[in-house]
Amino acid sequence: MSTLLAVDGLDVTFDRHRVLADLSLHVQAGEILGIIGETGSGKTTLARAVVGLSPVRAGRITFEGTDLTALRGKARRAWRRAGQVQYVFQDPLRALDPQHTVARIVAEGLVVAGTLDRAAIDARVRAALAQVGLDQSLAARLPGQISGGQRQRVLLARAVALQPRLLLCDEPVSALDASNRNHVLRLLADLRDRSGVTVVVISHDLSSLAGIADRVAVLYGGRLVEQGPIGRVLSEPRHPYTALLTASAPSVRREHPIPARALRPAPDHRPVAAFGPDACSYASRCPFATQACVTAPSTAGSEWSVACHHADAWRSRLAVGAMSTRRTA
Amino acid sequence: MSTLTAVRLPSARLALSVLAVVTFLAVAGGTVAPHDPLLQDPDLALRGPSLIHPFGTDYLGRDVFSRLLAGTGTTVVAALESVGVGLALGVLPGLASLWLGRTVEWVLLRAVDAVMTLPFIVFAIAVTGILGNGLSQAMVAIGVLFAPLFFRVTRAAGLSLTRAHYVEAAELFGASRWRILRTHVWGKVVPTVAVTAAQATGGALLAVSSLTFLGIGVQPPAPTWGGVLASELGFLSQQPWAPVIPAALIMVAVAALNALADAIRPGGAA
Repeated sequence: MSTLLAVDGLDVTFDRHRVLADLSLHVQAGEILGIIGETGSGKTTLARAVVGLSPVRAGRITFEGTDLTALRGKARRAWRRAGQVQYVFQDPLRALDPQHTVARIVAEGLVVAGTLDRAAIDARVRAALAQVGLDQSLAARLPGQISGGQRQRVLLARAVALQPRLLLCDEPVSALDASNRNHVLRLLADLRDRSGVTVVVISHDLSSLAGIADRVAVLYGGRLVEQGPIGRVLSEPRHPYTALLTASAPSVRREHPIPARALRPAPDHRPVAAFGPDACSYASRCPFATQACVTAPSTAGSEWSVACHHADAWRSRLAVGAMSTRRTA
Repeated sequence: MSTLTAVRLPSARLALSVLAVVTFLAVAGGTVAPHDPLLQDPDLALRGPSLIHPFGTDYLGRDVFSRLLAGTGTTVVAALESVGVGLALGVLPGLASLWLGRTVEWVLLRAVDAVMTLPFIVFAIAVTGILGNGLSQAMVAIGVLFAPLFFRVTRAAGLSLTRAHYVEAAELFGASRWRILRTHVWGKVVPTVAVTAAQATGGALLAVSSLTFLGIGVQPPAPTWGGVLASELGFLSQQPWAPVIPAALIMVAVAALNALADAIRPGGAA
């Protein structure tokens, strides 16, 4: 597989607060990549930076060789009108104009692009609605007149109507019930299988990614801490934070389960050092942090990479007592 | 509540009925007047209401009812002119301050702050003193002073929309600023601007009446509502009831505009 999107050394700063720090991530054509992390870890900022909604302070974002961070004015508008990268917002109610009908919303990108006539746009809108499993009768409704699950699919239909090559979905199922959640996740998988669309799914819920993603990238404190094939990352996490995530998600099956308690610092835990802004982003919460963690670890490995000074050693330091307490419980 | 629903309210219906009558009089007031509004008859000066002169006569024996009917057009057009100037100078810069960057925003905000310090009537008097004593000049001056109101209201209504996700989505489709304003912003700003325009028209009616009362804008003997009020006030000792008629007319028209504005105010009609 070739690299479709490459993010290299990305820094995003809001009011002197560094939200993303030296983040590098490659997305391969045709894959489904899950990006996971807790609230405030920088997942949404990363996606918004890719589409040009977050200010990039340093680093490069390239899409098949086109430097997206260098695009300005008319060039950026022309690139956007081509519709190759589509961003699906997190909150469907806020991302849909309350005064526009579903048909108008789905058609907007095509109308702005200006390459199709009215009949062709209408046909594309009908096809997009069918693709996401929405009844054509909803086309004349306003966003306030349809359900949350339907609104989420309208967002998807608006994106797929442009036949993008990369779809960035920001928490696409976080506000949905289990039935709608599975439906939307299946839709994303179908899109990749049938249309070859590369999909990036942002989520704070590991279990929603486990069924569909090929690879997963884990963010913590604005840094990428681990990325790799989702099956291997979930079964044998190499970063303590990833291990804590998998241990905290009851629906994710692991071959060698480590209780979450063993991965959290003890109540009387004292950090070994004062961890400044250049330290490992997880150091202050990590029970395995040492003096070495005052500097940010480099990301080692290509297919499966991890940013931890103790990636190969922390398991041997797991508190035996914590492990046994949980197992017997 | 939508504007159409709001119009079904009794208060809105009454307001619309009053405004329909005012509009009719503004268009056809001169032709339906029973007497020539300029015809003087010293023998009939300062007469009380009668079948021939329902609102009596003024100090020159002119029929007050006919003068009020004939003056409606000038008064209403002048009020609308000032509101139109205010809309033109307020709404577009209000939107520009949101979408054309920080420099434009800073300059426009400071300009508006400066204009807001000017007092209405004194500024209008100064403008007519410089540009000549005409109603258009006076109304343009009033319109300039209305502009900050429309600027602030438009800006406040549009401020939340600049970072609305559907506006960002439109930007991501490559939509131009003009298209975003047209398709996503305009429809949400217009109801608020319409309410403000209705209220401002009420204020403008008072302003044009005040100016003509002071003799600024319309020159005698041309009739206006404010002019009639001014002439009646000069003879308060002889006819204390007389100023009540033009004053009531101004008050009813302003109240109708305010009632209509209140009824169509988004989310606030009751």
